[in-house]
Amino acid sequence: MRIRTFEYFVREALSSLRHNGLMSIASVSTVALSLLILGMFLIMVLNLNHMASALESQVQISVYLQDNLGDRDMREVGTRITKIPGVVQVTFVDKDEALTRFKQRLGEQQGLLAVLGDTNPLPNAFEVKVDKPESVKPVAQAVAQLKGVENARFGQEIIEQLFTLTRLIRLIGLALIIFLALAALFIIANTIRITVFARRKEIGIMKYVGATDAFIRWPFVIEGMILGSAGSLIAVFLLVEAYTVLTEQIYQKLVFLPLIPKYPFLNYISILLVVAGTIIGALGSTISLRRFMKV
Amino acid sequence: MIHMAGVSKIYASGLVALDDISIAIEKGDFVFLVGPSGAGKSTFVKLLFREELPTSGTIYVNGRDVAGLEPSEVPYLRRGLGIVFQDFRLLPNKTVYENVAFAMEVIEAPRREIQKRVNHVLDLVGLRHKARTYPAHLSGGEQQRVAIARAIVNNPAVVIADEPTGNLDPDTSWEIMKIFERINKNGTTMVMATHDKMVVDGMKKRVIAIEQGRIVRDQEGGQYGYEN
Ligand SMILES: Nc1ncnc2c1ncn2[C@@H]1O[C@H](COP(=O)(O)OP(=O)(O)OP(=O)(O)O)[C@@H](O)[C@H]1O
Ligand SMILES: [Mg+2]
Repeated sequence: MRIRTFEYFVREALSSLRHNGLMSIASVSTVALSLLILGMFLIMVLNLNHMASALESQVQISVYLQDNLGDRDMREVGTRITKIPGVVQVTFVDKDEALTRFKQRLGEQQGLLAVLGDTNPLPNAFEVKVDKPESVKPVAQAVAQLKGVENARFGQEIIEQLFTLTRLIRLIGLALIIFLALAALFIIANTIRITVFARRKEIGIMKYVGATDAFIRWPFVIEGMILGSAGSLIAVFLLVEAYTVLTEQIYQKLVFLPLIPKYPFLNYISILLVVAGTIIGALGSTISLRRFMKV
Repeated sequence: MIHMAGVSKIYASGLVALDDISIAIEKGDFVFLVGPSGAGKSTFVKLLFREELPTSGTIYVNGRDVAGLEPSEVPYLRRGLGIVFQDFRLLPNKTVYENVAFAMEVIEAPRREIQKRVNHVLDLVGLRHKARTYPAHLSGGEQQRVAIARAIVNNPAVVIADEPTGNLDPDTSWEIMKIFERINKNGTTMVMATHDKMVVDGMKKRVIAIEQGRIVRDQEGGQYGYEN
């Protein structure tokens, strides 16, 4: 393609964008809205994943001991745990301390424990910290094999719940994204159809003088791409602003919530959205040209 | 240049517009297509640039098998043809110069070539001085001259015109015919469907008469032959 031809395509595309004023604005807004929501879900899902793995790295293993162990046996178990590769710290929590902690956690509802009378159903335990998240599972399994250990648990449930939540949000997000992408596609196709209609005379002449179909189509495809990428740029702008505010707020108030840092995370999201918007635009015009103009 | 053999055209409605037409038009010929309204003249012309496909028969234009072309080859057929309509079909938002240049731009001719050719054909139709004017500010005859300039700017081997003087008064029609005659003198084949008795009788060219989809007369230096 000659540079001059490309200039011609862009000029034609821009002039018909101007010509379609209101319709162009409607298309850009729809694309912007769709991609905004797409971006929001993407950021949410990625952050939840991020949190899940951050939590995973913090978890410790609770090792519950059998009831009938004497002090010597318990110390023996402690020593064995220390020798397992990946273990960095082992703390003993006796059953009385465990009960006290449990009571504290129950707070006002301590009354519930009255039924226990003087008995303490909680076992003696060790709390084990490991060097890296990947070590949690193998260490827990190794500990569970030790003689005198009742069982070994780690915060598996919380993490799995978080992942379930992520999956759910991903599913809802996906459905919504497909729906909105189709809406964006539809409105772009419609805008291009109006452009095609407005230019049918010109298109007719182009055909009579021997313009190829590709040549006739390009300005419309470019118009669609401009609509799509303009919409995506608006979405990107809003997302970046919102995420900036959000991260600042959260760092001030909820220090422990680990959000993904802006850079380079938002760069990837932005590139992705702009590419998606441009593709939606090109696709929208292609569909329209297929359906409404036999060129 | 143009060869038709056993060409019929039956529209989807079942109407037989052309019925077993065979004809040869050679390079440099100047041909009038005449006949009553609904005889099939426009259909004949549309077959030449593949606006319509024949129902049966073969058509060769500039050595191309028109009916057998892939859709993607149609633009290249049309680049060898100049097409002129009764209603001019100029783009209102482009100047005279731009309207003519458009025909070269869409086939991606180089810029310098475009300038040279557009100025040349505007000279030929006597409208160089109106290059910057918009079609709305031109008379009908001037608009048709612009359309002709556009049709010939890519140096077609054949110019096809469907009632090009249908909207014009006799003097203006005659001017248009003088332009066609000059184009034809330069070696371009002319095929023109018309109802214009004065033009046909005055030009004394080859006349092909069609009635009810059949060729009923093919005569060098012929007359229009119908009452208006
Ligand atoms: N697209 C179409 N579908 C169905 N019938 C058509 C179509 N185009 C033309 N016809 C019919 O075919 C016949 C020939 O039409 P055509 O336009 O070729 O005639 P013509 O000789 O050009 O007439 P005129 O002098 O009035 O322009 C007419 O009866 C017309 O009604
Ligand atoms: Mg006709």
